[in-house]
Amino acid sequence: MTLQEAPDIGEVVLHHTADAYSIGIEPFFSLSWERWPDLHLGGLTVNLTPTKHTFFLVIAALLVFLTMWIAGRLLERQRAHERAPSGFANAIEAMVLFVRNDMAIANIGADGAKYAPYIMTLFFFILYANLLGLIPHGATATGNVAVTGALAITAFFVIEISGLIKLGPQGYLRTIFPRVPGLSGAGAVAMSIIMAPIEVASKFVKPFALCVRLFGNMTAGHFVILSLVGIVFLFGHLPGWNWGIGGLAALTVLGIMLIEIFVAFLQAYVFALLTAVFIGLMQHEH
Amino acid sequence: MRSTIAFLILASEESQGGFASPFEVNFGLFFWTWVIFILLFFVLKKFAWPFILRATEEREQTIAKQLEEAGKLNAESKAALEEHKALLAGAKEEAHSLINEAKAVGQREREQLLEKARDEQLQMIDRAKREIDAERERAVNELRREAVDLSLAAAAKLMQQRLDSKADRKIVEDYIDSLGKDRS
Repeated sequence: MTLQEAPDIGEVVLHHTADAYSIGIEPFFSLSWERWPDLHLGGLTVNLTPTKHTFFLVIAALLVFLTMWIAGRLLERQRAHERAPSGFANAIEAMVLFVRNDMAIANIGADGAKYAPYIMTLFFFILYANLLGLIPHGATATGNVAVTGALAITAFFVIEISGLIKLGPQGYLRTIFPRVPGLSGAGAVAMSIIMAPIEVASKFVKPFALCVRLFGNMTAGHFVILSLVGIVFLFGHLPGWNWGIGGLAALTVLGIMLIEIFVAFLQAYVFALLTAVFIGLMQHEH
Repeated sequence: MRSTIAFLILASEESQGGFASPFEVNFGLFFWTWVIFILLFFVLKKFAWPFILRATEEREQTIAKQLEEAGKLNAESKAALEEHKALLAGAKEEAHSLINEAKAVGQREREQLLEKARDEQLQMIDRAKREIDAERERAVNELRREAVDLSLAAAAKLMQQRLDSKADRKIVEDYIDSLGKDRS
């Protein structure tokens, strides 16, 4: 037990939160596969090999589907017997209704019901992906920039296309070249053109913020937990302190884990809510 | 030793290759995220949301329908009220105009009657005057004829006697006087 054996915690943390071409419950079971050849699309190198995070996204999607499907069937059965919704189905119904009414419809407005399925899918998909990262041997797919980036790009298109549909081509152009209040004539045109880059930037900043917020929050939590666990490996060999350090680190990690559960819900909520808010902003742009 | 084992467990992914850190962007994962998300979206839309939301949506539709109906009924009753008000106002106006017309007719009738009465009166007076005049004329004429007759008779009588102008005149005048006495 010398200091030379002390592990490089930073390396471990980065590796643990990084994606991989393997899944497994070490040390009992492990499955790894070869990386497929890269594809070159223009200047972009894309490698479509499914990764650990792909696997966990599929698991999250399957679990969301199973949850909703079972809840739907239970509700139908309860309705068929003219019984009030109860138990698991009722809890899921309440959550779904919360997302639909208080997140989607409340922020989008009259067309909220149309966009509700998207917001609901977004919320539960992100929530499940977040939570899967908290179970032992799980991986947080939403702690991957590519995943949050892809979701944010989807959100970008949904937001912009919803605006295009609602406002028409002319109204949509007004979101890029805004009508400046209190000005007319050449001044208004000039201001409008000056504002255009800012407006365009704001269109991209919103989804970018969505992407980075979710990624950052999910990754940071894991960094904290792994760093705290790392303390055990760094200082656990000190005679007389090892139990104290171990116990304290475990307690702190437990606390952070509880916060992480909350963060998993919160970030799913924030992502879905902000997407709804941005759709709503586009709908009511004048 | 313990720490080494644990570290090996933690770092075991390293041996299987892959990514160095979560900050590496894997563009292939964009594709998979989209595929999974879009599939999940459509599957949920078809197989899950309708069953979970059915009760709520039905209730919403019912409420919307009821609201719409209530709105329609409200509008209808407002319209009916307006109509009744208009009718009432019309009836009042009509009554007023009827009374006014009746008054006007009565007034005209009275004036006509008065006019007629006055006319008749005037005609009657006129006729009476005319009759009086005619009567008087007839009386005067008769008197005159009688006077002439009498004169002639007196003249005849005188002719039988002497024609003395002064005395004759006296005779005639006396005669006429006597006639006047007889008459009155």
